[in-house]
Amino acid sequence: MSSITFLCSKSNGSNNHSDVQKGKPTSAFTSASASVAVVAAAASGLLTIAIPPQQQSKVKAAAAVAKTNGHIDDRSDVTEPLYVDLGNGNVGGGDLNCCPASPTTVPTKTALESPMRRAGRRQRTTSIGNQTTTANPSECIIRANNRTIYTAGRPPWYNCAGQQVEPFVIGICGGSASGKTTVAEKIIESLDVPWVTLLSMDCFYKILNEKQHEQALINEYNFDHPDAFDIELLIDVLTKLKEGRKVEVPVYNFVTHGRETQTKTMYGANVIIFEGILTFHSPEVLKLLDMKIFVDTDPDIRLARRLKRDISQRGRELRGVLKQYLNMVKPSYANYIAPTMAHADIIVPRGGENKVAIHLIVQHVHTQLQLRGFKLRETLANSYKDQPMPHSLHLLDPTPQIKGLHTFIRCRNTSRDEFIFYSKRLIRLVIEYALSLFPFKLTTVETPQGVLYEGKRMSSRKICGVSILRAGETMEQAVCDVCKDIRIGKILIQTNLKTGEPELYYLRLPKDIKDYKVILMDATVATGAAAMMAIRVLLDHDVPEDNIILASLLMAEIGVHSIAYAFPKVKIVTSALDPEINSKFYVIPGIGNFGDRYFGTEPSDDY
Amino acid sequence: MCTGSPSSNGSQPEETNATTEQQPQPEQEATEQPLRTPTHAIVGAAKAEEILAEYGSNLKLLECNSQVSELLTIIRDKNTTRSDFKFYADRLIRLVIEESLNQLPYTDCDVETPTGAIYEGLKYRSGNCGVSIIRSGEAMEQGLRDCCRSIRIGKILVESDANTHEARVVYARFPDDIGSRQVLLMYPIMSTGNTVLQAVNVLREHGVPEKCIILSNLFCTPVAARTVVNAFPQLKILTSELHPVAPNHFGQKYFGTD
Repeated sequence: MSSITFLCSKSNGSNNHSDVQKGKPTSAFTSASASVAVVAAAASGLLTIAIPPQQQSKVKAAAAVAKTNGHIDDRSDVTEPLYVDLGNGNVGGGDLNCCPASPTTVPTKTALESPMRRAGRRQRTTSIGNQTTTANPSECIIRANNRTIYTAGRPPWYNCAGQQVEPFVIGICGGSASGKTTVAEKIIESLDVPWVTLLSMDCFYKILNEKQHEQALINEYNFDHPDAFDIELLIDVLTKLKEGRKVEVPVYNFVTHGRETQTKTMYGANVIIFEGILTFHSPEVLKLLDMKIFVDTDPDIRLARRLKRDISQRGRELRGVLKQYLNMVKPSYANYIAPTMAHADIIVPRGGENKVAIHLIVQHVHTQLQLRGFKLRETLANSYKDQPMPHSLHLLDPTPQIKGLHTFIRCRNTSRDEFIFYSKRLIRLVIEYALSLFPFKLTTVETPQGVLYEGKRMSSRKICGVSILRAGETMEQAVCDVCKDIRIGKILIQTNLKTGEPELYYLRLPKDIKDYKVILMDATVATGAAAMMAIRVLLDHDVPEDNIILASLLMAEIGVHSIAYAFPKVKIVTSALDPEINSKFYVIPGIGNFGDRYFGTEPSDDY
Repeated sequence: MCTGSPSSNGSQPEETNATTEQQPQPEQEATEQPLRTPTHAIVGAAKAEEILAEYGSNLKLLECNSQVSELLTIIRDKNTTRSDFKFYADRLIRLVIEESLNQLPYTDCDVETPTGAIYEGLKYRSGNCGVSIIRSGEAMEQGLRDCCRSIRIGKILVESDANTHEARVVYARFPDDIGSRQVLLMYPIMSTGNTVLQAVNVLREHGVPEKCIILSNLFCTPVAARTVVNAFPQLKILTSELHPVAPNHFGQKYFGTD
């Protein structure tokens, strides 16, 4: 899982209120983007996201979207405005107005260097249109610029053996416009840790009463004072995040100076970065921080950045900005922020430009994480070796018959006719077995022989099949053969050749799928990336995790581990388990490309 | 090639259907008379461990997961429609056939997969055949065909004498070289086991060794199991349930002649 979750609507609160006064559109954007949560492709597996570095900044700027807790927001059909052009948005080192309204997945530069990714993807013989569309406006999936963004994600805050691991919390403090966010981003980029959550203190501004609201409109409310923050709520949220629990983070609206009714859902992560101007002010918060960083930037530079940002980008007047700076920002820095420097473990002069400091911090975090048993991305691929297989895996009894069928379909010289016939037989066995894993209840029936018979019936008749196109479709017939009138949903997931990331192209599911038990079908599972994305899609449609059975003919151990690790309640059924994946992501010894062999679309020399 | 007294090929099986339908009746009397009373409530099926202890390792039970239990329940339920009955019976038959094929001998066989790696698989020997006991055994032929597309299938008609209750083979037609083949004998319901005893005898007369016969069965009574195991200790039996009451309506309901 190579993803980093960002959370925070960093909107630099001390300024925004005055944009409102001027009626400039900036704050409208801020509030709109802040009110929605973006979570990205949890469904990524090990080979997830690899976005070229030049796209990264765009992704970071991704804002907007859809869903909180199963509720589908009407903004979900927004696709393009996700990205803010950063061209003129850079001020000093910190893109303060373009921070993500959270949480979104950001790939790190180093992601491209991981060994798995370097290996070329297997060649597809499919043609995929460049123009990707949202499957359905009401689906809670957003597609834009080669990325699929899910509105909820479940980061693996467990280690590979399923044990919960306490995240490492980094606090970043510093004066306004000192470059805290840049430092945070640089750290995230260099960390190369699957999940990082970025929490901004700006989310915790207090709700203003009418009088304070008035003051705010004329630059007289002090947003830089400790009393402006709801420290209690902040402690509560941070504590929960540290425990790896899901939290609802308030979304502060700088127009109304109140909280939005919607909240952002955040999950715990391997590393939590908490940044803000008064991060070190509360002793309780200090206790939660494992590492404290103070970004010390020269006051002149900070003022210069502020002026440039507020005047050129937000259209404010010099006088107002200066008045606010001199009356509140500067005194607050001297009174409340600068003294907390004493708590810092490390002071970073010049902010994000300071590469040596970032490097030292990253090294320290790495050491700390390793002490806690985290695996870094490079080792994640091999970390499952010698681990016991998860309990959610249900392997068909390896009878001679099943092995014999595998011999047929695995042999490269098997004709298509035989391949289809024997794979169908095997599929039937897999499906029959999968059905037996659904809950059953005892029942007594009358027999024509006059005796009562105690037997079992399935607790719920509501079963549907969902196939992951294209190879999963081969299993549909078997499901229809064993369940009368079963509904079949389809999900098309293809790997984007540019990014190496699985993407969702098509989705049709039964309307009330949340009430169904779902048999999710894919012929083979290698890394599990596509299966995990499909599971994620089902979960986004409110299918309870333990209602899902993933049925497959062949799985690689690593895929099973990845899926079980991310979705421990999903039952995994397969007829064979292979130990390895080769550099083209084929399972070894494997079957080859199942879909191509079944449908007869093999490229002339693919292997 | 063929045996049985009045075997003049062709239409013979259809004509004798009338007689076969009565065939279960004498068997019913053997097992059901004491159970007819509804007060006899629920009769439980035997468990796998008990079976191994009592009947030896040649009697195998289909692994009874919840899914199989449901199939058995639907087939036994008297309120099941005929369409459902056939659908679920076919599913159960498929499972039993698949499991029966597991009993066939095989040899190791390594193959190269499209990825270039070697898969250590296995290969079944060719030279198997199916033999169904008319009429209800024929219900299982399709299941076998679905697994082995071009398998040869022989047939045996066993007739029960209405008065003496004695089973006797009236028709049998097998592939020429049946003696050198593994035989999958198909007969879904065993109440007394008499029919199967006769069928196995015919096969033996054709030179099929006892240990080369696998009996695929859906419902078996303990009485029948004991009879067959005692008579042919080397015969392999695969069934899905061992239960004192056999669903004797199977043939009629499956073929719609009830």
